[in-house]
Amino acid sequence: MRILEEGKADYLKVDPDGYRAAVRDNKPHQMVSKLMTHKEAIERFVRDGDYLAYDCNYFQRGPSSLIREIIRQRKKQLWICGKFTYVACALLVESGCADRIDIGFIGFGPWIARAVKEKKVTIYEYSNALMTLRLKAGAMGVPFLPARSFGGTDGFQHSACKIVEDPFTGKPVLLVPAINPDVSIIHVHQADEFGNARVFGTGIAHTECALASRRVIVSAEEIIDTAEFRNDPGRTSIAHFAVDAVVHAPFGAYPGTVQGYYASDPAGVVEAMGAMYMGDFKAYLEKHVYAVASHDEYLAKVVGAEKLAEIRRRETIREGYHS
Amino acid sequence: MSTPATSFNEREFVTCQISRLVEDKYIYWVGGGGEPLSSVLLAKRMSAPNLQYLTEDGVVGPEAQVPFDPLMTMISSRANYRALQWGTMNYAADLAHLGYVDYGILATLQVDRYGNVNSTVIGKYDGGEGRRFGGPGGADSIAALAWRTILVTDQQKRKFVDRVDFISSPGFLDGPGARERHGLPPNTGPWRVYTPWAMFGYSGDCQLMLQGIAPYVTVDQVLAEMSFKPTIAPKLEVLEVPTEEELTVLRTQIDVGGQVTDRGRWVELADGKYRFAG
Repeated sequence: MRILEEGKADYLKVDPDGYRAAVRDNKPHQMVSKLMTHKEAIERFVRDGDYLAYDCNYFQRGPSSLIREIIRQRKKQLWICGKFTYVACALLVESGCADRIDIGFIGFGPWIARAVKEKKVTIYEYSNALMTLRLKAGAMGVPFLPARSFGGTDGFQHSACKIVEDPFTGKPVLLVPAINPDVSIIHVHQADEFGNARVFGTGIAHTECALASRRVIVSAEEIIDTAEFRNDPGRTSIAHFAVDAVVHAPFGAYPGTVQGYYASDPAGVVEAMGAMYMGDFKAYLEKHVYAVASHDEYLAKVVGAEKLAEIRRRETIREGYHS
Repeated sequence: MSTPATSFNEREFVTCQISRLVEDKYIYWVGGGGEPLSSVLLAKRMSAPNLQYLTEDGVVGPEAQVPFDPLMTMISSRANYRALQWGTMNYAADLAHLGYVDYGILATLQVDRYGNVNSTVIGKYDGGEGRRFGGPGGADSIAALAWRTILVTDQQKRKFVDRVDFISSPGFLDGPGARERHGLPPNTGPWRVYTPWAMFGYSGDCQLMLQGIAPYVTVDQVLAEMSFKPTIAPKLEVLEVPTEEELTVLRTQIDVGGQVTDRGRWVELADGKYRFAG
């Protein structure tokens, strides 16, 4: 295949054969219980230097409680899949956890800008949908996929994409390299103890993240019985064998929303955005992460039962989220 | 019945302009919130009740319940209410690749004569010297893959430049044939650029062309707020002001929190002429 143009950026090594072997050797093919705490899941499955993908974001059905636990455990040198996200990247950079970001869209803010200038973090350019396509390639077990966007942009030069002569049509086409993240964290509506999981409503790339990643932590609003999956298998988003840890995390997306379960907390969203763009991020991290030892303690002491009841009450739409 | 309004915000003006283009027979991919979403929601209530739009989270044809909580324009129950289908991001990109997206509507930070869009950096990219923004997000897919793209930007010299500091999402790149040479599908690209003061289209050589102006500004005022001189259509259209009916719906049902009008100048009718208030 003739290469017409190439981006110059570093990229996570593409290794579908290695990934297949890892699936054979490390993924739990048998149904085994994987229920554990936030602390244990992050300790066991997130390692310094990992490529980390989180699905959705800190405000929209994302694994906010798992992100806080990663920061609490002071993981280092993470490479972040920065698609469709506002503050989570900035939190991970400012807390010293991340030093590389593949960008689709992130809330940039002065903290990441300063880290880039001081060479504490390196940025690579893509788009949101190119990042989910990279995950799709990773989830298909193939080394790359074509797309018909992004060519001719300046971002292309700062990516690892290539434009090649399509061997079938002879026309130029862009290729994205697959990603198989070392670890993905995904927040879902319901899971069983084995990792079968359901997401209701729209999403970004939860199924692709789960299938593409060497280690997968699912946090769930509700832990339900496996019989419920068997009663309605069409609603299963992720099958158990892709999942390494299941964490019961009610209000795990706080301050964000989980569609059909609870609304976002606008004050909490504004507080995080304000800290990112103009406020004191250190103080934000202290209050929301370091001052408490666990998600349960965070909900009890920092958020409070009254707020949790309020965001549940404010989520009035049920169609499509409850059977 | 339609009654020309006598007092409105210039951002309400641009929202109504775009809203009037929206029709039931097309599918739209709407970028983020702001004017793109407001204009589609307005059209759905005024003239195109069955219009279908997508957002990046793969929602198809929602009947969104506005207003939304801050930032909750996607992956929220109100934004995705009573859709025809719930998908994910790759599904949205697939639909655009396939050719289902007739129009993309995008708000932009900076745009140039070829309709290239910058949402990455103002100033120098290398070394982190420039002022950095969040990246293309979904805009690259929309700008590359929709059959026609409608861009919305401010009428300001620093936002309307000869060449953007960084091409985040593709317009016509550097002219005819460039999109195809870089792997983008043929017969796609920017179609209109709207600002609160003017409407631009594109000439056959892919260059921005001034086609219409708001009744409260002159051509010279528009040109003074651009860093380059665009081609000017032989016959300039005077754009019609919002109607009272449009503004009532926009203000009471869509822009309830006043996000459309929290910036932008107010315009009023005085002595038979529209002009900036105060």
